[in-house]
Amino acid sequence: MELDRRKFLKIGAAAGGAAACSPAAPALARDEREPDPNWYGMLNDSTRCIGCKACQVACKTENKLPAETTLGDDKQFGQAIYDSPRELSEHTYTLIKAHQDAETNETTFVKQQCMHCVDPACQSACIVGALTKEADGSVKYDAGLCMGCRYCMVACPFSVPQFEWFKAIPSIKKCTLCSESRLSKGQPTACSSACPAGAIVFGKRTDLIKLARKRIEQNPEQYLDHIYGEKEVGGTNVLYLTKPKVAFASLGLQDFDYKAVSGLTESIQHRIFQYFIPPIAVYSILGGIMAYNQRRKKEAGTLGGDDEY
Amino acid sequence: MSIKAAPLHQKFITPNFWVLIFFMLSGAGFAYFRFFEGFGSVTNMSKAYPFGLWIAFDVACGVALAAGGFTTAAIVEIFGREKYHALVRPAILTAFIGYFLVGLAVFFDLGKYYNIWHALIYWNGTSVLFEVAWCVMLYLTVLGIENIPNVVEQYSGKVNLPGPLAGFNGLGNWVLGKADWFTKKTMAFFVIAGVVLSFGHQSSLGTMMLIAPYKLHDLWYTPMSPLLFLTSAVCVGPSMVIFEGTLASKFFGRKPETELLGSFAKYIPLFLGTYLLLRFMDLAYRGVLAQAFDGSVAGYSFLLEMALFIVPYFALKSTNVRYNGTKLFLCAMSVICGVVLNRFNVFLIGMDMGPNWNYFPSVGEFSVTFAFLALGVMMYKIAVNYLPILEEEH
Repeated sequence: MELDRRKFLKIGAAAGGAAACSPAAPALARDEREPDPNWYGMLNDSTRCIGCKACQVACKTENKLPAETTLGDDKQFGQAIYDSPRELSEHTYTLIKAHQDAETNETTFVKQQCMHCVDPACQSACIVGALTKEADGSVKYDAGLCMGCRYCMVACPFSVPQFEWFKAIPSIKKCTLCSESRLSKGQPTACSSACPAGAIVFGKRTDLIKLARKRIEQNPEQYLDHIYGEKEVGGTNVLYLTKPKVAFASLGLQDFDYKAVSGLTESIQHRIFQYFIPPIAVYSILGGIMAYNQRRKKEAGTLGGDDEY
Repeated sequence: MSIKAAPLHQKFITPNFWVLIFFMLSGAGFAYFRFFEGFGSVTNMSKAYPFGLWIAFDVACGVALAAGGFTTAAIVEIFGREKYHALVRPAILTAFIGYFLVGLAVFFDLGKYYNIWHALIYWNGTSVLFEVAWCVMLYLTVLGIENIPNVVEQYSGKVNLPGPLAGFNGLGNWVLGKADWFTKKTMAFFVIAGVVLSFGHQSSLGTMMLIAPYKLHDLWYTPMSPLLFLTSAVCVGPSMVIFEGTLASKFFGRKPETELLGSFAKYIPLFLGTYLLLRFMDLAYRGVLAQAFDGSVAGYSFLLEMALFIVPYFALKSTNVRYNGTKLFLCAMSVICGVVLNRFNVFLIGMDMGPNWNYFPSVGEFSVTFAFLALGVMMYKIAVNYLPILEEEH
């Protein structure tokens, strides 16, 4: 599909060529993207997570990321806070956060990382196509292509992509699903290998959905009957399970629609520039008006006459 | 054609010149840190607000405020209102300067600025930015071509380079002669192309933030956003012409063009009325107007934005207001502030990133933005002083 669109862009550009007044090529509005059965992903079972942060350590080791400190936070907030660091950053691709449910007062640990969306908003948004959905299911970032415009950070509904704010030549940083470092060697992701509680399951997305269903069916009192990420924002390769009384929204997993967030922008773009018809039509109309006015002026023999509106 | 445009040839190094230099130098100081120590050393941008003042003002507002070029060109050249001919050259010049600054600001805001040319060859047709980038690049080229006649008129056949460069005088004249021939043959094509390209990217800027449905406030998250961005740009175009015209008269000690600008201002209520009608129909259809009164910052910001549009809409219907230089200027300012606030609302204020996040530009960000503005004013000052932009007083 990706290849088809690229090819289509080039054909469109060649045909439009010199006459075209706008280069935005006529890419067709595409259908909902279907998940590929060969895509890998992870199932994060928040009911099993014990909050040991072994996955965070494994991720830092795998990606050679520096440590971040939250020492001194107890002075700032009056008490030490479990989440360390507070948020994902350019040095932290995955993070365990403790969420306390407002109603039940129950603490749940939940893992944060790139969701590796089925239909990634970042991919749709990126001006140069530096973010791509790979055959293994990961969303890959190409630092060599990137211009550093940060539109992907705006686009991502989970606010996952991070920018290196303190580097002279900054890049975007985010979880890679260990695509190149481990998946290519047949190994599972670093975080899932490190998890001692079996809270992170690595596998094919389709298998993970089956596993999640099975868990819900076998222990209906332990799980909320919903797999987060199966449908949200068009589906994600990282899936979540939660306790029956703990809403996903309270875990920082917002109650998103089931359609990809890039649907509206893409259909507007495609409608405005479909086959260059709208720009050419506007051009012709304006040209017609201009020609009419110039002839009228010539016939009137003046250049500065008309005072009406 | 009654009166010809001519260079001002005034004293160039005035106190204002030094003010501009001061702003440019202080911006350059912060620019050093941005380029060598990272954005974090200068700006208040964060993971929640990856777009800051430089995108919201320098780019989004910059493009809107440069709309004077295409609106004036359309009114005069396409719709044949020759009477406003005097306004075209300054409008096209300021549009060129405006887009030049937008390009510079984008370069400044890009983390990997040296990859800016990637937009030319690595295409991603689904990206709104892709469309914006191409239209802005092409339109800047068109504006450059539209400004060629000014240079040709002044220097064609009179190229007189200093010292050893004098040997190139003949070549210079030949190039200008060719440029003159080329622009005379093709100007109509470029004038219309400029308007079409403007339609394209002015509206696409409105599409940009629609990729974040869960971040942008309901008051501004609408599928109509591209049309609203385009129509508001059309509103602010004539307002900018009035704003710049008034200031140019004041600072260059010329007679105010109140008659001409007042007459030109009659288009503003027409455009503003269309814009406000579309805006309120959209708000009513989506049923979100109540959110403007919920006491939130976004709500107040929306109400202020609306006031800045509605007041000049009614005021400019009166001829007394239009033909009074001060009142006209204030009304134009109101429309300009309204559009600026609208862009800020969409790109920053309306972006709801949760209670833990907020953004206010740093001194460094303001300083760099002011430096760009100063550079723009300086370019305008140079151009009107040495090129036939402003017409003789009438």
